[in-house]
Amino acid sequence: MIKIEKSNFVTFIRSLSAEYNLFAPTGEGRQSAFREVKDIKQINSQIQITHNSPKTVFLPQTEILFEFKGDDIQSVQKATKPMFFWGVRSCDARGLNLLDKVMGQSKQRPDDPAFQDPYWKARFDDAIILTLACNEPASTCFCNWTGGNPFSKEAGDLWAVETETAYLIEPISEKGKDFIKKLSGYHTASEKDEQKIKALKKQAESCLQPAVDTKTLKEKLPKIWDDPLWDEVSAKCVNCSACAFICPTCYCFDIQDEGKKGKGKRIRTWDCCMFPIFTKEASGHNPRSLARERVRQRVMHKFNYFWETYGESLCTGCGRCIRVCPVNLDIRDVAKQLLETASAA
Amino acid sequence: MIKGNLVQETKKKKDWQPKILAILCNWCSYAGADLAGVSRIQYPPNIRVLRVPCSGRVDPMFIMKSLQNGFDGVLVSGCHPGDCHYLSGNFNARRKFAVLKPLLEYVGIEAERVQFSWVSAGEGERFAEVVTKITNDVYKVGPAKRLVKGVVSW
Amino acid sequence: MVKALREEVKRLFEEKKVDLVIGWGKGSIPMTATPIFIRKAEDAEHLIWDETCSNNLAVYLTKDKRQLVKTNQKIGIVVKGCDGRSLVLYAVENQIKRENLVIIGVPCSGVIDKKKVLKQTAGKEVISARFEENRMTVEGRGFKTEIEKSEVLSHSCRNCNHPNAPVYDIFIGEPVKTESVGDVYPEVEAFEKLDSEARWKDMVESYSKCIRCYACRNVCPSCYCTECFVDQNDPQWIGKSPEITDTLIFHLGRNLHVAGRCVECGACERACPADIDLLKLNRKISKEILERFNFTAGLDINEKPAMASFCENEKQDFIMG
Repeated sequence: MIKIEKSNFVTFIRSLSAEYNLFAPTGEGRQSAFREVKDIKQINSQIQITHNSPKTVFLPQTEILFEFKGDDIQSVQKATKPMFFWGVRSCDARGLNLLDKVMGQSKQRPDDPAFQDPYWKARFDDAIILTLACNEPASTCFCNWTGGNPFSKEAGDLWAVETETAYLIEPISEKGKDFIKKLSGYHTASEKDEQKIKALKKQAESCLQPAVDTKTLKEKLPKIWDDPLWDEVSAKCVNCSACAFICPTCYCFDIQDEGKKGKGKRIRTWDCCMFPIFTKEASGHNPRSLARERVRQRVMHKFNYFWETYGESLCTGCGRCIRVCPVNLDIRDVAKQLLETASAA
Repeated sequence: MIKGNLVQETKKKKDWQPKILAILCNWCSYAGADLAGVSRIQYPPNIRVLRVPCSGRVDPMFIMKSLQNGFDGVLVSGCHPGDCHYLSGNFNARRKFAVLKPLLEYVGIEAERVQFSWVSAGEGERFAEVVTKITNDVYKVGPAKRLVKGVVSW
Repeated sequence: MVKALREEVKRLFEEKKVDLVIGWGKGSIPMTATPIFIRKAEDAEHLIWDETCSNNLAVYLTKDKRQLVKTNQKIGIVVKGCDGRSLVLYAVENQIKRENLVIIGVPCSGVIDKKKVLKQTAGKEVISARFEENRMTVEGRGFKTEIEKSEVLSHSCRNCNHPNAPVYDIFIGEPVKTESVGDVYPEVEAFEKLDSEARWKDMVESYSKCIRCYACRNVCPSCYCTECFVDQNDPQWIGKSPEITDTLIFHLGRNLHVAGRCVECGACERACPADIDLLKLNRKISKEILERFNFTAGLDINEKPAMASFCENEKQDFIMG
């Protein structure tokens, strides 16, 4: 584990710029997001969690897949330098890994590149993610409900903790190990530093609400598929899609062609299962025409379907949906209600 | 006369010419335009005509989409109030335009680009005047840049 | 006040005057209320009424929730002034049966916009909030601040001239007295004074933040079309990506569709996850309609909507002379 004093942080950041495009939390309030930074002053280190998740860089709201003119197709180029992400929280790092399971790795045909998203891979495969532990989780954070932890080292390439005077960094993945090997001129962390980390971890965990194990929803949800509880849960939802767009693990998208006179582009944009027309079929039939069906689908996707397909929870407990929902539909309350009903069933 | 001068000017200038969409109601304005043609009245050739049954058919989306797709100006013309073939279509249209025009200006679209007029079936000369005015106005403010969607180019 | 509200709702259930009451309850996060649906007298205890009750509950009578209206249930609904105007709008547009509604008016002196509070705390998380007459006290980890309520009121509440529901069956407490200055639009007038390029640049800057989530459309009580114009795809009006001209046309189009119907409740602006000043456009249209047609949406149950009526001799200065 290496130690970078905060007074040396500028040098560290500058040293990255030769090989990497640096991305870090910038902006304030609802404009906070991961953006490319050229100057350390752009980094906002006061943000506990950015309003917009790192998904906005790897799977942007809007992306041109290719441009065409007649029969000619011009694909979008890959960036010349890989990205280095500073300050990603463990829930977001987990979120990126979950997205990678869907977009980058193919479960069904792992050796067939036709099943892998080249746009995602071009950005994610070479990127280095530095997971920064949360010293002060927000009151809306609930990563401990989904098997996570503010000091989790499960996801990312590097792991870091912020103390009063320094950053302590250690590698997680092979990519991270190679990165650390290339660094020189930094001290190793001392025994005192290790003790500090333990204390910070304890303090961080005390900020969280007591965990409710959402893993058990995996078996229980199918039992209450038709329960009238879903009417209650979905009553106040207005199907706006704010939750899905802000979620670090929602990945549904729509593809459209735009252009005229033989010239144009194919565009991919975010889509949302909460939109009433998400499942509208060409015949006009809509299997999810009611709000209760759409809310049920979203909850099932996070707490059941993804478990069945990929063996993990799709919700990472980051709490963004709770903050952004205009009617305060709190997924934590929903999970609790479902567990109660399912246990009684 | 004003229109005569413009005709001279448009022949001289070889540079950018405004492209103006003229949405004309079938019963009055379109007939008025037809009369202008039949009477060989000269007016600037910059308009592209879209015939609608009534000015009340005009959806503000038509106007905004035309600006987005590259028209430099839009003219909407209908029957005089009280003369609408469908009795009150132009009254409804009048209210729509009363709200649309200040809104577009407020957002920053130049006031000269979107204009409205009443031209009856017997007003061939009037039609030519109206078209001359809007062409002059749009020519002065220049090519539309603000609400135009960029198409890919390489 | 809250006690009186809960008592009234209990009484309505006991007298079997309602099957369902829609009101606000305490939210799961600070400074937030949440819509609640009460079906029995005991649950009336969950009702609250304070400056956090910002949702416009009228939205639950239309759109996907239409089945509540069709089944002829008797529905009680708690409304502020702006929400009450939405109900009048629904009555005018035949979206509800007035006799099936029990409108419970509450006196409103404005609701807060959480985003403004966070600006005052420099983004630090608020753990608890308390309200007094003109002030609110917020506490977080390591700080406690007093904020003037006028600084954090929602945009729609700043110049509100209609704090009481125009039509109601029950009113809790006394209606708020207003100084009758009429509807004023100072921020619209200030914007009008800027030159054309400055206005355009401001619009582009604001609306570039839009991510086309349609939260504004979905929380708006006036937007209840079964198929929205952005969802039509044969032919398609506007593209789906947040390209600036598509986004601007979406917002202009939506505002024109609610022209003369917008009750300026501010739900759109509060729901926006990208912090866009959405009311700037709506209020421009409301101002024009007031000046030209002397009409304000949602006040008179017998007045035809501005865009669905006309006067034969009306000012037409914008028509080519």
